[in-house]
Amino acid sequence: MDIFDGIITGFQVALSFQGLLIVFIGAVTGTLIGMIPGLGPITAIAVMIPITYGMDPAMALLLMAGVYYGAAYGGAASSILLNAPGESMSVPTTFDGYPMAKQGKAGKALAISAIASFVGGTISVILLTLFAPVLASVAVSFGPAEYFALMLFGLLAVSSFADGSTVKALISATIGFMIATVGIDGQTGTTRYTFGNANLLEGVDFLVIALGLFALAEVSSLIFERKEKSVFGKKLGSLQLSKNEVKEMAGPTGRQSLIGFLIGILPGAGGTIASFLAYISEKKLSKKPEEFGKGSIAGLAAPEAANNSASSGSFVPLLSLGIPGSGTTAVMLGALIVLGVQPGPLLMTEHPDIFWGVIASMYIGNVILLVLNLPLIPYISKILKVPRPLLISLVIVFCIIGVFGVSYNTFDLYLLVLFGIVGFFMARFKFPAAPMLLAFILGGMMEQSLRQSLTISNGSLFIFVEKPIALTLIVIAFLSFIVPILRNRNRKKIDEDSVDQKYNSM
Amino acid sequence: MKKFLSVMSVFILLFVAACSNDSTASGDDTWEPEKTIEIVAPAGPGGGWDTTARMAAKIFEEEEIIDQGLGVVNKPGGGGAVAWAYIHGKDSPYNLFVNSPPLLLVPLNGQSEYTFNDFTPISNLIADYAAIAVSADAEWDNLNELFEDMKKDPESIAVVGASSPGSMDHIQFVHVAKAAGVDITKIKYVSDQDGGALTQLLNGSVEVFSTGVAETVEQVRAGNIKVLGITSEERLTGEVLEDFPTAIEQGIDASFINWRGFFGPADMDQAALDYYEQKFKELNDSEGWAGVREQYGWSEMYMDHEEYVDFLTEQEKEMKALLDELGLGN
Repeated sequence: MDIFDGIITGFQVALSFQGLLIVFIGAVTGTLIGMIPGLGPITAIAVMIPITYGMDPAMALLLMAGVYYGAAYGGAASSILLNAPGESMSVPTTFDGYPMAKQGKAGKALAISAIASFVGGTISVILLTLFAPVLASVAVSFGPAEYFALMLFGLLAVSSFADGSTVKALISATIGFMIATVGIDGQTGTTRYTFGNANLLEGVDFLVIALGLFALAEVSSLIFERKEKSVFGKKLGSLQLSKNEVKEMAGPTGRQSLIGFLIGILPGAGGTIASFLAYISEKKLSKKPEEFGKGSIAGLAAPEAANNSASSGSFVPLLSLGIPGSGTTAVMLGALIVLGVQPGPLLMTEHPDIFWGVIASMYIGNVILLVLNLPLIPYISKILKVPRPLLISLVIVFCIIGVFGVSYNTFDLYLLVLFGIVGFFMARFKFPAAPMLLAFILGGMMEQSLRQSLTISNGSLFIFVEKPIALTLIVIAFLSFIVPILRNRNRKKIDEDSVDQKYNSM
Repeated sequence: MKKFLSVMSVFILLFVAACSNDSTASGDDTWEPEKTIEIVAPAGPGGGWDTTARMAAKIFEEEEIIDQGLGVVNKPGGGGAVAWAYIHGKDSPYNLFVNSPPLLLVPLNGQSEYTFNDFTPISNLIADYAAIAVSADAEWDNLNELFEDMKKDPESIAVVGASSPGSMDHIQFVHVAKAAGVDITKIKYVSDQDGGALTQLLNGSVEVFSTGVAETVEQVRAGNIKVLGITSEERLTGEVLEDFPTAIEQGIDASFINWRGFFGPADMDQAALDYYEQKFKELNDSEGWAGVREQYGWSEMYMDHEEYVDFLTEQEKEMKALLDELGLGN
């Protein structure tokens, strides 16, 4: 079956009355769940699984896919309005989205994120349609050495997050690294920094850190500061984007949709790395890097385009190889097995209705989400009009629900509070939280892939030089690290007085 | 007859309940649950433990084997250690849990203070087996060829699995390799816990993949990988599965069972144990459970309390010897 026949089959499934209804329900449910702070795609899908029992497998996957990218859409709302990302890939959305909301441009921020998501989602699904059958080989092209190089690239960009003090950013990153080592070490089975506590054996969950450092720290600051800098009560602002603003987001959106898709295909880290790299690379490419972190349009559009694009990309290993690329697609894989479909390399030929149905449904889902989200923005933003004490309590409650819903463990709630306190003090003493989170997310994976590579190569570092992809990535990584330093040295002579400027990073 | 018995037992229960409202109504030598029973899956939703627990609870209720409600609770963490500590703390016949070889391996690795001796094995229900797979174009066509090369040049062959060293994917491979005469301290084991183990085999980063039989079927059908050997005593049945040779038929005297069964708290009351033993036996013999086994490709492996304890004691000895030799034992 060629692509044309395939996609026709797909649209027959997705455009049937039942198909449309399912995609609609999935997209709406996903958006709603995703909007709740602390709840991301993985929770959204877990909630839907019991509903899929007994459904036609194609419809079940349509529903889950709808919930998945719906939640990715909705996640932007809680990141922008409340600084509470529901999963790792929407963390970079908070960097510029939340400052925009603080400036009274919440409406515009939500509109940018909806449009960037739509473009990212659509470009990636077109790529998926055209190349899905051949992309399987791309999905497995990365071994431990290549992953290590990719993580290194992401991690060396930590300095990008240094607004003001590079030293503070590095301290923050180091702590993130240390937290990543907590738990049973993957390569030796030794326990590290668990202090005999069984709850720490599997390490610290991402959500605990993200919600603690971002959402809880932010609401604590709000309580502390009372009046200033509050996002609450602020006007929604116009939704209209000016021509210049459209121009500003066009480049980042287009580029990052493409790159996000390619990184999203890689099983393991896709979406998170894609959105962080999108943010970092656009900051480097931008003519106005100083705006990043303070409400840059490019800084919001880039990660939103990338993470939606990566979400579709993560279907490549799932549909073409039966390898789940993320926690969320792993849950989908489990659900499909329950329905009697064994996802694997033969899915496309044996169940074309499922394979192409899902792809076709993404076109429809993206349109539904855009049409649904734009008119809803004024209503969503009303959340900022909720009386402050009530909203603060709600954010805290949802953070707790979000964490407990993933780990089912009260110990994680204490950790959440602990990270909330840490985040509060970090903000007060101007330590940026982003490097800590970035180092935590990438550091853990980077350490494992480094050691996997060295086990395979019997300890020889040449493994990173012998592999062309790994070598290229490492060279780019070091260039992107060294070039700005050299450039800064020249610039420093010009404006010395900017050195002791102090910024609030978040 | 079985139906009749269970109907009778319901009547007896009603009769007893009618006679006395006391909560210890059933007297000294029989025990009946009087409230919802909790089954703990010591991992997150979606995995083998979770599926087994949920399916068991479902069939218990659907076929009215147990007429109390059953709730499945996920307690992930520490490869099971968090849930074991929880069950130990509860110490109640209303809190059961499902488990498999990690209950032996995790304590042996020094990652949990509780061993199976701190719980009451009720009954084992199912078994899964390990598969040793290589890329479809690999030079080896059977286990002996692979192990010969591993003996000659252990540095050139890396084995990948989804669990940490000293845990299942590692130990099941080591167990077979040892029986074939390989020096197991020289085996290069790479652990990929982010779902990339199969990817590493497919892109040639590693040479060998140690996993469960079920995970290999689709890849074998697609011609991506080949299975050199599985760890069951005899060949399995079913399409594709029946083609997988066992290690034993290749002259390597080793089997590895990924057993899965249910446990209660330490020193469970004899009456409660009798009750559950009976109920799990009924579950094992029910049509509903047979359907579940077929759906997930699990083999039947029923053991009652006594057989289970003997089996676990024997297994623990074997595992301990392996871990000690690898230098991972505690």
